[in-house]
Amino acid sequence: MVDCARIQKELVDCNKDKGISGISITLDGDEFTHLTGTITGPVGTPYEGGIFKIDIQMPGEYPFEPPKMRFLTKVWHPNISSQNGAICLDILKDQWSPALTLKTALLSLQALLSAPEPTDPQDAVVAEQYLRDYPTFAGTARYWTETFAKRSSMGIEEKVQKLVEMGFPDGLVRKTLEMVGGDENMALEKLCMG
Amino acid sequence: MEDFIYISDSEEDFMSDRDSVGNDDVEDDDSLESDIKWTATASSTKVITRESLLVAQREDLRRVMELLNLSEQHARTLLIYHRWDVEKVFAVFVEKGKDELFAEAGITEKNCMIKHAPAAMTCEVCMEDIPKHKATTMDCGHCFCDNCWTEHFIVKINEGQSRRITCMAFKCTAICDEAIVRNLVSARDADLAERFERFLLESYIEDNQRVKWCPSVPHCGNAIRVEDEKFCEVECTCGVQFCFSCSSEAHSPCSCLMWELWVKKCRDESETVNWITVNTKSCPKCHKNVEKNGGCNLVSCICGQAFCWLCGGATGRDHTWTSIAGHSCGRFKDDQEAQAERAKRDLYRYMHYHNRYKAHTDSFKLESKLKETIQSQISTLEDQESDFKDFSWLTNGLNRLFRSRRVLSYSYPFAFYMFGEDLFGDEMTPAEREIKQNLFEDQQQQLEVNVEKLSKVLEERYDLLDDDKLKQLRMELINLSVIIDTLCKSMYECIENDLLGSLQLATHRIAAYKSKGVERASELHVWSTKESSSISCLQTDSSISATVGGTVEVGRSSSSSPDFESGCPSRKRAKREALGNALFDLNLPAEVIDKS
Repeated sequence: MVDCARIQKELVDCNKDKGISGISITLDGDEFTHLTGTITGPVGTPYEGGIFKIDIQMPGEYPFEPPKMRFLTKVWHPNISSQNGAICLDILKDQWSPALTLKTALLSLQALLSAPEPTDPQDAVVAEQYLRDYPTFAGTARYWTETFAKRSSMGIEEKVQKLVEMGFPDGLVRKTLEMVGGDENMALEKLCMG
Repeated sequence: MEDFIYISDSEEDFMSDRDSVGNDDVEDDDSLESDIKWTATASSTKVITRESLLVAQREDLRRVMELLNLSEQHARTLLIYHRWDVEKVFAVFVEKGKDELFAEAGITEKNCMIKHAPAAMTCEVCMEDIPKHKATTMDCGHCFCDNCWTEHFIVKINEGQSRRITCMAFKCTAICDEAIVRNLVSARDADLAERFERFLLESYIEDNQRVKWCPSVPHCGNAIRVEDEKFCEVECTCGVQFCFSCSSEAHSPCSCLMWELWVKKCRDESETVNWITVNTKSCPKCHKNVEKNGGCNLVSCICGQAFCWLCGGATGRDHTWTSIAGHSCGRFKDDQEAQAERAKRDLYRYMHYHNRYKAHTDSFKLESKLKETIQSQISTLEDQESDFKDFSWLTNGLNRLFRSRRVLSYSYPFAFYMFGEDLFGDEMTPAEREIKQNLFEDQQQQLEVNVEKLSKVLEERYDLLDDDKLKQLRMELINLSVIIDTLCKSMYECIENDLLGSLQLATHRIAAYKSKGVERASELHVWSTKESSSISCLQTDSSISATVGGTVEVGRSSSSSPDFESGCPSRKRAKREALGNALFDLNLPAEVIDKS
């Protein structure tokens, strides 16, 4: 059983100053076992301006075991899998301490965005690019932030228009966009596959 | 008997209890006596039983406690961190100093500042306000509520991390106080508390390079401790002989890696699979393995499908001796034939070595029966009127046979890998290999011839022979034994120096040749638990130095202990009773024994 009292307190505490910290946590359903965290991309990094969603699974032994966290928003970062959002961060593993909270963990993720550790990579491809060709890395990371982490970068109508111009029927385009959460690239991929 | 072991250091003097120690080893039978000499070397190798584990551990704990003036639990923390290597602890102490030694291992000495804690506090883990008496402060100064501590300990113990439970505070590496863990956990879950104790104790075996569990199945409960040489073969008191380095059966002169590969090779029948791939092809239709029984390369399976033997592809049925209609796969032919050729050669090579290995192992098993036969012949002879009184030469010869037979059988898998491509393909040129192989095989052959001679001599019916014939055979036996021992020695020299010793790319070490056979570990004699607790109580109210204890057999706890037990501090006793019949009691810190 999860310690609901503590999580509740954490939620209140965290959402109190979300305007300043850029970090918020919401419950996913009624259970305290599944939450969603949101962090803003740190200023001065390729992630600036992005809003990143993080899936949080609470283990039964929380806070004595670390929460399981995963990026829902696609992100181009050496310590985060570009495939499934898995995170390589010590405090989510053996360095976890029960005195840490969801908020501190999310703050650490934010810090990870500004200070990648390419020598201990989760995504080898990204890490290699980071070390060998930083400008390209930064470009890709910024592009991914623009594409996946900014909800308002392009209105839904614009996306629909763009895809319709490529020759897909309007109704199908809308339905597919909805299915993939408004991500036009993923929608295109889906549409191409039929 | 002289061979019991003092586990004491200079401060203590154990007195042997002759009655209880003596019985194990005394044998009336002369022949058995010489048998004992054969295997029981007064060795530095020790058996650690469930009962002696605590004492074994305490030796090391005490050394560290005395030198660094530490409590038992801190000494344990240090030793667990340094894998029970006392010398290493001292080396780090000298090199880096006490502070760093402690910090590395996670030891914090009590912080005086924390005594003035407020009456109530907020636990940072559950975020509740907690009255002071329901919270606990660790040595590192971090304070959390007892509930949270308990949860934390339970999670850690269940994760198998009992030996190094760190403080809950972020980035704090301090190891939690054993006593606090014990108290809090046992209040919630007594079984788990017991597991915690066991984990701590067994750390001495599992985190220790010098100690290994005996690999017997079902497990005898013992562990073996060696002094210096990790590459050796030992015999547990349960009778199991094993290689200390890899815990599998004794396999010298094979190295551990060679033996592992050999066992795997023999077990998974990879050679059978090899044969099937060389000699059969699977039908493209029904996928049965088809063996070609002559004729041209067009093969037809019993299911009726025709296919090309060279490439395995399905074909039509029109063919000549050299070609199949509409089918050509000739360019793969050479390659495949070469491959098949190589596989065939490997198979023959393996079979050569395996047959000889197997033959000697089988002989060894058959000869084991000789032991009884010879034993009974000896007793018949002893009853007869004869010049001979001592027949130890006969059992010695038999033991020599067993010993050398083992060496011989394991020398074949050794040779298989030593002169094969699997392990040392790049170590030697073919010419070098041939020279070395000849050198080795000459020795092996000589040994083999003499071992067979010895085996033959030992099959005589000694009880039916007259004295002259016996004398003659005795001479022959003794001579053969000496020759074989020398041959074994020189074969090992050749292996260790010329063969394994000259390897450039790999290191293979083997257990040295022991003329007398595998070393039998001696018991680490200890007090039984009751006794030891009584001693500790005795110590508290008597002088420091002379502890009087006995080496007591398991299960024969001294009847005198109740006298002392009444002198036990009641708190300790209560805990002991709470633990029930647990064999170990860590609630009695060694310092109670050491310092009154």
